[in-house]
Amino acid sequence: MSDKPAPPSSVGKPLPDVADPFNARFWQGLGQNRLLLQTCSDCQSPRFPASRYCPHCHSEACEWLDADGAGVVVSFCTFHKAYWPGFAAEVPYSVVQVRLNNGVQFFSNLVGVATAQMVIGMKVQPVFERVSGTEHTVLKFKPVEGLVP
Amino acid sequence: MSTSSLRASVVGVGNTRYGVMPDMDAYDLGLWALKDALADAGLDFSDIDGLILNRIPDYQRFAELCGINPQYTLTTPGHGRFSGICIQTAAAVLQAGLAKTVALVYGNNGKSAGARYGGDSDNYGSGGAGLWFPYGMTSPGAFHALMWQRHMAQYGTRPEQMAEVSMAFRHHASLNPQAVKRTPFGLDEYLDARFVCEPLRLLDYCLINDGGVAMIMTLSDRARDLRQKPVQLAAFAQRSRFVDSAFPPEDFWHEPMKQASEQTFAQAGISHADVDALMVYDNFAPTVMFSLEGFGYCPVGESGSFVQDGRLKLGGQFPTNTSGGHLSESYMQGWALNVEAVRQLRGQCGERQVPGAEFVHYMAAAPVVSSIVYTTHER
Repeated sequence: MSDKPAPPSSVGKPLPDVADPFNARFWQGLGQNRLLLQTCSDCQSPRFPASRYCPHCHSEACEWLDADGAGVVVSFCTFHKAYWPGFAAEVPYSVVQVRLNNGVQFFSNLVGVATAQMVIGMKVQPVFERVSGTEHTVLKFKPVEGLVP
Repeated sequence: MSTSSLRASVVGVGNTRYGVMPDMDAYDLGLWALKDALADAGLDFSDIDGLILNRIPDYQRFAELCGINPQYTLTTPGHGRFSGICIQTAAAVLQAGLAKTVALVYGNNGKSAGARYGGDSDNYGSGGAGLWFPYGMTSPGAFHALMWQRHMAQYGTRPEQMAEVSMAFRHHASLNPQAVKRTPFGLDEYLDARFVCEPLRLLDYCLINDGGVAMIMTLSDRARDLRQKPVQLAAFAQRSRFVDSAFPPEDFWHEPMKQASEQTFAQAGISHADVDALMVYDNFAPTVMFSLEGFGYCPVGESGSFVQDGRLKLGGQFPTNTSGGHLSESYMQGWALNVEAVRQLRGQCGERQVPGAEFVHYMAAAPVVSSIVYTTHER
């Protein structure tokens, strides 16, 4: 893997909505380098984003459990247009669709992989990235060691 | 004869011009289109007893502006998938006897109102788009770019093949005086177009414009007495894929499309080969590819080779989006494609007419899949 680049600037970029009461635990967990997912106490299905009722069994009972975080790149796309000023200096930048082994999906970014090296099916693991100049942490991904092409 | 055994028919279609009209709001555009549709049908505002609105903000205000008191009213969100839903609902309303003459009205001033589909106003999907903004993820275009990337990886589909879709629709638009973009382009120009969200290029995106579209529907018995050659709904079906729909579907919506397609063809009593023209919801060019596979026009994964050799062009096996569609006529969220289906069946399409068209299939691939077969064959 290449040298770790400086974390991207947060100026002019949207920040996580940590005030959203449903997902607050998720964002707090990232700040502690933990991937906490709301998990149904009845059918054990993990889910994100959070919701009052489980979409599978409609139970209201849930707990926030640490998830393994291992997953695969389902697809990726590369933005050549900046929809926020903070991304203007970074275009073209890529977004990945990741599916964790537990089925939960995220849109995110791959750390330390150039777009040309991205491959669908690549195995990835979480990276907890502090957003520079803020108290926020976001969930990014990096290839599982040894699998970088 | 009971109302439920009669077919729903389109007896009037109308539209505004498409483009930039900053002095018109969605109500104005909808009313313009409705006047045009009523004139087309030979009907008056006072004949309307059912009103179905799409994208126009307030039904009460719109009906007040029309000066009508319909006995059935419905308003729907400004998502493109709702054109098919509205038309199917109108058919059900007619067949249930809830109304006799339904006006369907769509007004979109998005261009002048500065509507943006990416960035802070992004509400695509199930409303959770804001979760992904910190990663720079936004826009339905990116959602479809992710799908297309995977389709290419999985099936070997190539950019030159998708170019066939965009080029065919632009060729059709060149024959349509109403189309916003009418200058044809070739493969080199397609490939040179800038990426917006790679692998999608600018020429794979629909055209945001102001405009309005309206349709008037009645049951077939009443349709026979009106001005235009009646166009009947031979079949219609709807399916959905809402589970996990915040993310691109693993099967490119194949299963709901397959089910809707099977129901439609069974109900219409025809096969794919009987269809004279296709109207395919083209918010982005790859949606056309997914639809051709999902609705069974070609096997899964083979849309790339299927669209080659002019198969979708006028004169080809399945002339598709003969108006230019959303990619080249204007993004009227499915409405103008349904109007084009009706005009093709009436034989009103001039240079872009499909000779002797008897069956036209409208289809939309999205978390709500809709499928409608229009025909001139009366029942």
